[in-house]
Amino acid sequence: MKFNNKINYIVASALLFIAACKPSIDAPSVSKGQADFSRYISVGNSLTAGYADGGLYLEGQKASYPEMLAGQMKAAGGGDFKTPFFNEDQANGSGYLHISGFNTDGTPQITPVKDNLAVRGQVAIPGFGNVTLYTKYSGDINNYGVPGIKLQQINYAPYGNLNGYYERLLPGNAGTNNTPYIDFVTAKPFTFFSCWLGNNDALGYATSGGANPADQLTDKNQFAQLYTFAIARLTANGAKGVVATIPDVTSIPYFTTVTYAALLAGAQKVSPAVQAIFIQASDAPGGVRAATAQDLFTLTLNSDGVFGKPNAAGIPYGLHPLNPIESKYVLDKTETANVKDYVSYYNSVIKSVAASKGLAVMDAFTVLGQFKAGKVVDGVTVNSNFVTGNLFSLDGVHLTPFGYALVANEFIKSINSQYGSTLSTVDPTKYRMVKFP
Amino acid sequence: MRKILLGILMSLPVLVFGQGFQVNLQGQKQTAMGGAGTGLAIDEASLFFNPGAVSMLEKNGVQVGANLVFLKSAFLQTGSSTVEYNKSEVAPPFQGYAVFGSDKIKFGIAAYTPFGGLMKWDDNWSGKYSVTSLNLKAIYVQPTVSVKLTDYLGLGGGLVYTYGDVNLQRGVPLSNSAGESGKATLDGHGNGWGWNAGIYLKAITGVTIGISHRSKVDVKVKDGDAVFELPASLGPYPTSFSSQLALPATTTLGFGIYPSKKTTIAFDANWVQWHVYRNLAFAYSPTGTRIPNTNSPRNYKDAAALRLGIQNQTTSSLTLRAGIGYAWSPVVDGYVTPEVPDADRLMLSAGLGYNVTPKFSVDASFLFEGLKDRTQTNIETGLSGKFASDVYVPGISLSYKW
Repeated sequence: MKFNNKINYIVASALLFIAACKPSIDAPSVSKGQADFSRYISVGNSLTAGYADGGLYLEGQKASYPEMLAGQMKAAGGGDFKTPFFNEDQANGSGYLHISGFNTDGTPQITPVKDNLAVRGQVAIPGFGNVTLYTKYSGDINNYGVPGIKLQQINYAPYGNLNGYYERLLPGNAGTNNTPYIDFVTAKPFTFFSCWLGNNDALGYATSGGANPADQLTDKNQFAQLYTFAIARLTANGAKGVVATIPDVTSIPYFTTVTYAALLAGAQKVSPAVQAIFIQASDAPGGVRAATAQDLFTLTLNSDGVFGKPNAAGIPYGLHPLNPIESKYVLDKTETANVKDYVSYYNSVIKSVAASKGLAVMDAFTVLGQFKAGKVVDGVTVNSNFVTGNLFSLDGVHLTPFGYALVANEFIKSINSQYGSTLSTVDPTKYRMVKFP
Repeated sequence: MRKILLGILMSLPVLVFGQGFQVNLQGQKQTAMGGAGTGLAIDEASLFFNPGAVSMLEKNGVQVGANLVFLKSAFLQTGSSTVEYNKSEVAPPFQGYAVFGSDKIKFGIAAYTPFGGLMKWDDNWSGKYSVTSLNLKAIYVQPTVSVKLTDYLGLGGGLVYTYGDVNLQRGVPLSNSAGESGKATLDGHGNGWGWNAGIYLKAITGVTIGISHRSKVDVKVKDGDAVFELPASLGPYPTSFSSQLALPATTTLGFGIYPSKKTTIAFDANWVQWHVYRNLAFAYSPTGTRIPNTNSPRNYKDAAALRLGIQNQTTSSLTLRAGIGYAWSPVVDGYVTPEVPDADRLMLSAGLGYNVTPKFSVDASFLFEGLKDRTQTNIETGLSGKFASDVYVPGISLSYKW
């Protein structure tokens, strides 16, 4: 019996030993290289804030790319990272869009979420208009992303009165603020920064179809001067950092979902005689012309549901020169070329300023351009299709958490290659795509 | 054109299994000798290794055995510093043989599991959209006849009935209202037929030679259960699937060499016809849902394995064995998947046999397989990273001869 016990013991020990064995892969050690991540700040607009689905809300804030970067920096000497989160009981922040169901024809119902908001009121700013105000945030801040901010506005002292998302971070109430954004973000010392500014200098013009006089393209010289100024301020105390370029407007579903061909086909389905779609165009002699495949239409033309509706005179919207699609829904081919030209210039500025300061560059123009063509990442099909492309959220401009994770990894690759650091990438599959009920 | 039409089609599970799913554990003696045994007539396991050698067995006998397969895999995603490990699950392949008859003709029945595998990853691991769990079992039952044509030549063959059972689970990249990803489970079984035949030859020089061929078996899975845990608003989803698993043919040339009365050396060369995996098709029912039928290219190539083993009868009741082998992977670059992250592998084995009485004996074996590290980007899923795997297989069998 004793002998048997011994054998049992040996066999049991051997099996336990086997069960504990693991194949060896040498995990690369995480290091900071020449960078110092002890206090990282993120400077930028809505993309930096984690804005998605047409709003800023807690879930999106938690899935911002700066949060992801900071999470990876922790293993390389990174410190605490604070995003000005909305409170749990006001988690829906500004409100946002979600898919609430489907119509019988299989199309999604995209509706706003309006409960548990962090809206504290509205204030009329003389000479500007109404500004929605949000519950103030008073703690430490590392993520300075402010939805809507343009590079043009970073040194504009009254800006804290015009943008509710910025006002929220400042101690003073709207109407009393005079801290320029660039002073606010650089007030506390930092060792590393990311800067993704400039998108709205082109995008504001584009998403409003070039129709809003207050939202025109930022002058090229002004852009160059302000970008140089911003980076000089951010690097003034020796901080290292990463900057990002501006994506091509034609790589976002906001402009690629509603197409000329789809509009024409849709109209002809109802009325086969339809030969043309008419638009207000900046490049047409009388301001109106027939649309072409080179003209881009906004997603809002679809969601506003105006196309084809007859006016008081009985003329259907968009199908006759006397009732053309308004300029705010159309980025005509001249405007499109104009935006592309400016974006290309802005990006050349961003790259040359970054090069002069030895900063890393995350080339969002190229990265999102590659996704537009379609890629498969970890078993997920990624492209720039609306709703189904997994990259863009329901506003067609901002990203899904999964999309932000892909962007975070591009930032990480750029940082690693510039500074010799070995930050680990994030696992994108841990983040969600568009939610379906 | 008032609203946007949704064209969501989800490309879904494709079962892939490579050499990792070929289980070369059909006898403890042979396993201990690197998996070689086609050119030998040492025990009832010849029913599997070479039905032609069965006629040369000196006694009738029955044998039952089992192994425990510990498959250990690790994955490091490109760019990441976090190594992920598969879950510790143990697959228990088994074998059972009975041989009886006269000196000239022998009959036998064999049951064994030449294909199978068990791989579980965490439900939320980075490759979840490729696979989270696969449990595959193929049980072969083989009635056999073996005839000794002369004292130097044996022929044998058997009909193979195959029962296959598969359970495949995978994440689906669709988020529900809680932001959680979806899941697909395919569970089905089927059967198929094949054959196994062999020739055994005693050369004048004292060398024994075996040639065997186990045919391809197509296991048709019909009306397997398909369960999709996905957002309700995108349903309905298919409830069943059908597919066909091709279990490849293996041709083996084996030699037995006898340097002394108590020492045997075995050498086998296997040729496995993995090219049957040109592509794999899955059909779902009912049709017309967002889950389309799939047909994925695999482009496996045929692959070889070489096995060398030795046994020495150390005392009248104790036999010691050892072996070494090398198997080439049939999975070409770009098609490696985490079901079994296949790679060329080195096999080392050892074992012993003990005769408790002249009729009753116990054999034990231990096999280690080390797979080469393989850094891959899968063409279909884009999953990119480095796989490393080791396999540990202890086993034991009991046999009774008369």
